[in-house]
Amino acid sequence: MPEIDFTIDRQSGRLALHIKGIAGPACDNVAKLAKELLGEPGREQPTAEYHLRPQVRPQIRSQSGARGG
Amino acid sequence: MSKYLSFEAEIFANRRLLLAALADIGYADVEEGEALTLYGYQGDARADTAEIVVRRQHVGAASNDLGFRRTAAGYVPIISVFDQRTLLSGQLVVRLRTAYSERVVQEVQRRLHGTARRTVEGSVVKIRVRF
Repeated sequence: MPEIDFTIDRQSGRLALHIKGIAGPACDNVAKLAKELLGEPGREQPTAEYHLRPQVRPQIRSQSGARGG
Repeated sequence: MSKYLSFEAEIFANRRLLLAALADIGYADVEEGEALTLYGYQGDARADTAEIVVRRQHVGAASNDLGFRRTAAGYVPIISVFDQRTLLSGQLVVRLRTAYSERVVQEVQRRLHGTARRTVEGSVVKIRVRF
């Protein structure tokens, strides 16, 4: 399940967030929403996960239950 | 599939969330307009203008107006050094920034139709939003 971990430091008021579990472009959409509300980040860093390609497996339906004959 | 962002600038990008954050820290009475004149603690007009103003009557007897000037990047606070040092025990900007951050998290949660789990560790608030 995709999630965002927000960390607010009440001593400085600084906010950091970590977007996790979202494929590349969708991750960028969430980052865009954060920037819309917070302005340009002081730091933006894709983590190792970011560069992973989403795995899409072709689904092959079995015809074992075919009727007729 | 993962990205880390940190925000440190003292700019408030969203007007509605800024107003909510101001109310959260006790400044619900604000004046809005174009290039409103800011006044000092003696009633003297200052050179600065702002689009969102908390008038000194709502701040404190010895305080100046608190202003927020609209820029392309968002609202920039115009707060005297005196007020920064004295209001809310010298924590005005930090408290406002924290309140704004909390509002941002609520807004993200709302827009993504997510659920939030909040934990506090000392001075650090951690909120996990799942969607």
